[in-house]
Amino acid sequence: MTFRVLAMSAGLAALFMSASGGSVSAQAITIAIGSEPSTLDPQLRDDGGERQVNDNIYEALMARTPEGELIEGLAAAAPEQIDETTWQFTLREGVTFHNGAPFNADAVVASVERVIDPENNSEQMAYFGTIAGAEKVDDMTVIILTSGPDPILPSRMYWMKMIDPGYAAEGDLASAPVGTGPYMFESWDRGTELELAAYPDYWGGEPEIDEVTYRFVPEPGTRLSGLMAGEFDVITNLLPEFTSTVPKFAAVPGLETSVFVLGTDNEVTQDPKVREALNLAIDREAMVQALFMGYASIAKGTHVNPAAFGFNDDLDYYDYDPERARALIEEADAVGAPLVVVGESGRWLKDREQIEAVAAYWAETGLDVTTDIQEFSQYLDSLMGDGPRPDAIFIANSNELLDADRETSFIYHMDGAAASNSDAEMAEMIDEARVETDEDARQALYDEILKRAHDRNYTVPLFNLQDIYGMSERMEWQPRTDAKLIISEMSVSE
Amino acid sequence: MTDFILRRLFQGFLVVFGVTTVVFVITRLAGDPVSLMLPLSASDEQRAAFAAQIGLDQPIWVQFLRFAGDVALLDFGDSLWQRRPAMEVVFERLPNTALLIAAGLGTAVVLSIPLGAIAALRPGGLADRLTTSISLLGLAMPQFWLGLMAIMIFSVTLKWLPTSGIGTPAHLVLPALTLAMTPLARFTMMVRAAMIDEMNTQYVKTARAKGLGLGRILRVHTLRNIMVPFLSISGWELITTLSGYTVVVETVFGWPGLGLTAVQAIQRGDLFLVQAIVFSIALMIVCIGILMDVLSKMIDPRIELN
Repeated sequence: MTFRVLAMSAGLAALFMSASGGSVSAQAITIAIGSEPSTLDPQLRDDGGERQVNDNIYEALMARTPEGELIEGLAAAAPEQIDETTWQFTLREGVTFHNGAPFNADAVVASVERVIDPENNSEQMAYFGTIAGAEKVDDMTVIILTSGPDPILPSRMYWMKMIDPGYAAEGDLASAPVGTGPYMFESWDRGTELELAAYPDYWGGEPEIDEVTYRFVPEPGTRLSGLMAGEFDVITNLLPEFTSTVPKFAAVPGLETSVFVLGTDNEVTQDPKVREALNLAIDREAMVQALFMGYASIAKGTHVNPAAFGFNDDLDYYDYDPERARALIEEADAVGAPLVVVGESGRWLKDREQIEAVAAYWAETGLDVTTDIQEFSQYLDSLMGDGPRPDAIFIANSNELLDADRETSFIYHMDGAAASNSDAEMAEMIDEARVETDEDARQALYDEILKRAHDRNYTVPLFNLQDIYGMSERMEWQPRTDAKLIISEMSVSE
Repeated sequence: MTDFILRRLFQGFLVVFGVTTVVFVITRLAGDPVSLMLPLSASDEQRAAFAAQIGLDQPIWVQFLRFAGDVALLDFGDSLWQRRPAMEVVFERLPNTALLIAAGLGTAVVLSIPLGAIAALRPGGLADRLTTSISLLGLAMPQFWLGLMAIMIFSVTLKWLPTSGIGTPAHLVLPALTLAMTPLARFTMMVRAAMIDEMNTQYVKTARAKGLGLGRILRVHTLRNIMVPFLSISGWELITTLSGYTVVVETVFGWPGLGLTAVQAIQRGDLFLVQAIVFSIALMIVCIGILMDVLSKMIDPRIELN
């Protein structure tokens, strides 16, 4: 029977070879991504698949270098802060949308108003909650207003894509987007593939790659096979263990940092000695090698992303000192004391493996450790709900805006959604940093906050995870810290 | 007959209603779509606004009444994931699944009859032992593994067929064959067993005694007699394929059908799309059941439909 099946598929294959093998130009590439965009409207969703496409079609007032430095995008220069809540942007001249419409102050005002319009209920309001509105000054100048002092406003404007108001009113933003970016929307065959073509009139010069096809392949093993079979040029989320299998790959420190948040009011973990022991008990270097094949960096004393504004360069790595950890647990009289470690599985790279490895290290200190791997929505409730705080809860925290406000407000601030401490003094400093518009003063505040959290062991930071992409032999590309797939930065050698 | 169909349709309606209700309850117990949908950094106000927008702030019985009213009009609401009517997504993906099933089960049916018949001609012979052991292997191999192996061999190593996707007939070959393996094994075993039974009956012996050729006996007599059990097992395989195999095969091959869409909808907490898919599949299964009964009656008029 197998013989017949084999023979038949061989025959069929020969029959269809001519049908499937099209002409491949040197300037066309295929990218396999894990999830299809839910919509191509750039202002409604918080959706990785949508961004992987729209980051090439649309642009924002601000942009970032591949290393993560904030630079001007559609703005001609960095914004000028007029007062605490008013930021003035001068726009880049000579930019046109793909439909020929000019990019100007009207487009910025319309874009801002559309995304913050409560009617639209945009999921992106998680990033734009402080923006109150926008006003046109003249054709090429616009001011953005915030509801309070907001030092992160320039970073926020890096996240907000600019749309053409005329097209937004009459066109179909959700399935045929029109932006100012280096690539134009070509076609979208739902469930199958999506095509973009280079925009010849792009203000930054026409990009090198002419045509891009996105394929949606949810199963990582199938993405890998497609790369090996020569169907794809770039695949996302390559597992570290396959870096030696693929023709080419590139890794870059990503946005996510894995960390355990400790409950500083819980019976066992309220003792600073116990918390210090938890940080000293983990052999992070061994975990980097065993779990990530080296493609992760040990977090340097904090879970704040190293590329983010506010990162404290002076903090030390936590040592690996199991003897000292055991001694601390004994000093704290916590031998045999119960410690519950809460986590989830399958959401983040090697999440369960990290949780279980750390729980094993912690058990060696003499604590009685139990791991509780929860279903994701139950886990979210443990992380952010109103119930009692877990002794230790795992999270791979992402920082899209690359600003320390994200980690401090979310995890360190006692009122933060995922915070497990009640340090009012630190919360005050975080509130202060959130509205401090002087960069140096703000950096100084974060230095102090992160040092305090480090010394008091409020969290157990683990790794800054790397994003790994598999690539075909001919691809030339250095991936970005902000995880954006920017095709105009890619090229093919042939 | 009409009476029977009407009664079965009524029963089917109850089944679909029951399944839809169960899914309604489960999707609401299985976690909070709001926290799955919004970024972790979303504020409480944003979460509340989103819950209100999709009606999840209402008590569950209010939600259910609304839901039941909408379902009566075939309106399952907008998919949370794709922000367009859930039924539109179902209708878009359904033909892909139908094509895959038609190709896969079609292959299984077409191949299993000759294979089973050849095996049955000499029970215990070489052809029989070969067919039987390979069929058992086919039943034992998980489709997920089988699919990945097929990709490794035919796409990665031999480069004959694409690894995933949809569009040309070449894209259909591997998923359809992977899908066909389990039903093919089951059909072949069933045809073989039924044929062996038939070949030992008095009427076959009589026919052979009076000098009828083996080919004619098979075509005219025995194959007809095994049509009814074959039909009912095909019905079952069709239902299993629709509600199970396609999920695995579509996921492995990135085939944009209902099964893959169901997996993605569940991962994203898109309860409206999950409801629409489960409703559609339940409806199809009920219809397949009725169709199978009616077909059996047409083939073998002795069958009592009550």
